[in-house]
Amino acid sequence: MWQLIVGQLLNGAIVGTLYGIVALGVTLTFGITGIVNFALGVFMMLGAYAAWYFADTVGLPYPLAVLTAVVVTSFAGLVADQALFRFTRNNLVNGLLVSIGMIAVMESSALLIWTSTPKEMHHVLPGVFAFFGLVVPKMKLVVFGLLLAVIFATYAALTKTWSGRAAYAYAQNAEAAALMGVPTSRLQTGVVAYSTGLAGLAGALYASLYSLEPTLGSLFILKAVEAAILAGIGSVAGALLGGIILGVTEGVGSIYLPLAFRDAYGLVFLVVILLFKPSGLFAGRR
Amino acid sequence: MLLEIAGLTKHFGGLTAVADISFGIDKGEIIGLFGPNGSGKTTLLNLIAGLIPASAGRIVWKGKNIAGWQAHEIAAAGLVKTFQNPQLFAELTAIEHLMIAGHLALKRRLGWRRIATLIDPEYRNNSRALLERAEEVLGLCRLASARGLSAAELSYGEEKMLGVAMGLMCEPDLLLLDEPASGLGTVEIDNLETVLRDLKAHGTTLCVIDHKVGFLRKLADRAISLHHGAKIAEGTPDQVLRDPNVIMAYLGRAHAAI
Amino acid sequence: MKQGIWIAVVATALCVLPLVFNSDVALTILVFSYLQGMLAVSFNLIFGFTGQLSMFHAAAFGIAAYATHLFMQHLGVAYWSATVLAAALVAAVSVVVGAICFRFRLREFYFAVVTLAFSEMARLTVLNWNSLTNGSLGINLQEKPPLWLPGTGIVKLESTLAWYYLSLVALGATLLVCGRMVHSWMGRCFAAIRMNDELGDTLGINVFRYKLTAFVVGNMMAAVAGSLYAYFLGSLEPGFLSIDQSLGIVAMVLLGGRSVVAAPVVGAFVLTTLPHLIHFSAEIRSIVYGAILIFTILVMPQGIYGGLWQIMRRRHAA
Repeated sequence: MWQLIVGQLLNGAIVGTLYGIVALGVTLTFGITGIVNFALGVFMMLGAYAAWYFADTVGLPYPLAVLTAVVVTSFAGLVADQALFRFTRNNLVNGLLVSIGMIAVMESSALLIWTSTPKEMHHVLPGVFAFFGLVVPKMKLVVFGLLLAVIFATYAALTKTWSGRAAYAYAQNAEAAALMGVPTSRLQTGVVAYSTGLAGLAGALYASLYSLEPTLGSLFILKAVEAAILAGIGSVAGALLGGIILGVTEGVGSIYLPLAFRDAYGLVFLVVILLFKPSGLFAGRR
Repeated sequence: MLLEIAGLTKHFGGLTAVADISFGIDKGEIIGLFGPNGSGKTTLLNLIAGLIPASAGRIVWKGKNIAGWQAHEIAAAGLVKTFQNPQLFAELTAIEHLMIAGHLALKRRLGWRRIATLIDPEYRNNSRALLERAEEVLGLCRLASARGLSAAELSYGEEKMLGVAMGLMCEPDLLLLDEPASGLGTVEIDNLETVLRDLKAHGTTLCVIDHKVGFLRKLADRAISLHHGAKIAEGTPDQVLRDPNVIMAYLGRAHAAI
Repeated sequence: MKQGIWIAVVATALCVLPLVFNSDVALTILVFSYLQGMLAVSFNLIFGFTGQLSMFHAAAFGIAAYATHLFMQHLGVAYWSATVLAAALVAAVSVVVGAICFRFRLREFYFAVVTLAFSEMARLTVLNWNSLTNGSLGINLQEKPPLWLPGTGIVKLESTLAWYYLSLVALGATLLVCGRMVHSWMGRCFAAIRMNDELGDTLGINVFRYKLTAFVVGNMMAAVAGSLYAYFLGSLEPGFLSIDQSLGIVAMVLLGGRSVVAAPVVGAFVLTTLPHLIHFSAEIRSIVYGAILIFTILVMPQGIYGGLWQIMRRRHAA
């Protein structure tokens, strides 16, 4: 029995890092623009399909396909920002509505192009890792490690580099930061590119583990937002922790409650946190 | 005693914005609140009006302890506050602002029966009476010329007067004014003074914060001075303004004859 | 007064319309338009007038639709009683959801997210409670609601013509209720809440009470629309409560216009008729909704109705 629990815990943690990295994108965008960008879900989907396309159809080696997917997604994010979100910076509700519109357009376009038939990518790293009676696919461990590395690298960049700290300053007080010489519009653009890139990375890695459907973005973004809000939107370390908490809860919860409830945990967390501690569990910490 | 404050305190984390303040306001007086920036005047008014919860102390209004009441309940009880930075309804004209502010008066006139106006809009002549009163208040505040202007088109002085006008529509027993004269020119200040004296003559009690010492000295019957959240002097405006502690608070030790 | 004349003209035209356009297809489209119009107008009460972006509207619609059928099936009540009960159920749920959201003073954006969460919870419940709702397969509704007509007695509403007049009356009632609320002191409270709720608070407006009122009344009207819609369509499915449905409602309101009670009907009409004129697959329809959302927010925030109004005003001024 405990093997099942530990197995689910591990699985949950790995899924949790996927939630976490998209949550990181959500949290970064929120910190800089004040908008919770639900559209990151479709960018994740875009990254996934791009990776699949470049790896399986074009034939690029997987790591290169991932990189290309990230670049493509980042670029798409920039285009969307310049064409659409630039005009809704001051109005959160309008921004949300435009996001919703864009999501509908992109998801349905994906459905038209690729249909709802799930696409499977060829196995990148077959084989499993066995220890203590547990069996974990090697690829999952690679993804886990990679995502952790990226999240820590982001954290380091935010605290150690000038641009990172400038971004943090801007998130605290935009006007003061601008007066201090922080290039604000470049910052906003940079954050957009980075967070959509992160979503694209999540998608590209997702493609190596699971089958692809155009709706994968919607499911994920809700979880990612839940994770970000759970942790305290604006907290970078929290994004990872929030994601893992959510992933683990779902994993362990599915042992005891029917699978149908899996999506509900996050929703309940979301409602409870927003009502009782809107600043999130880890607010106050970075 | 219309309003009685006892031991009112407010902490914001480690900062004590209001420290153990006690005083009373009698019906019909004009109380002036003096104090340098950061002395806690606005916080004090916000506490009394129910916009922020107190950390400790009692606020007794007409014999009832209103600490913990919600802002709209306190307004309904006759205690109304205006804002230092004019708070307005962006899309509406001046007269429309007053129509909204007339909600409390309507509630008092019709009670729960106001639901009936949904079926018959002119139930007990409600909207005509409301409009008449709004026009009256507009005139009282010398804003008749701004009647049809939208919030964006008003001058700063007109915005501030509109705030006072909206407060008036609520038929307050005590009106708390947070720096009504700040940013106004001399003509507008004279206007304001006349309006406030009119109010007093009609039986409204006033509590006014302002930095324009001359203006407040002329207007107020009694004065209270705050410094770092605590009350440091109380008396007639002249007494308070000559109090060495007050002078020290404003100008520094060198000027106070201590 | 002039407005009264306009209303009378339009109402008469719509009543007489079936005599001119005898096509069953056209009338069916109009019935759908009127019912969607009810959804849009009632949503606008909450969103356009009171300023709360509620993502719960489709849930209210769907819950009532299922509830009507379930009350009829399990409690043995007649259709209209079931509809009333369903509306009461939705009202109760709305009071709970609304009280939770407004008591905690959720700002607009978070309100949208929490109502979305509740809506999803409702949808997941409907989707997974197979014994009650038949899950994703949905339920086919064979029954048709009865109506008492003077002269003919009780008639089963089977003809499209009967549904046309029923839905027209229902839409009219919705417009009447919303109109009365908006053009009264209550509407002024809604406006105050929308524009500056903190100021409204200090002026004695009980912000919680009026937000909740708009939310509950709006949802109840959506509930009635749901009961009617399901029985006209003849089936129930969890998709009634989907985000897509909510998205459609928002699109209708943004397209039609937010500033006038009746404006969303224009949006409802356009978005309901369009898929019938140009045969859209579900995907293309979503793309169109999405594009409309983006277009209206960025380019035409006043919607069609608002846009026409501005053009007319400029003509008058010129």
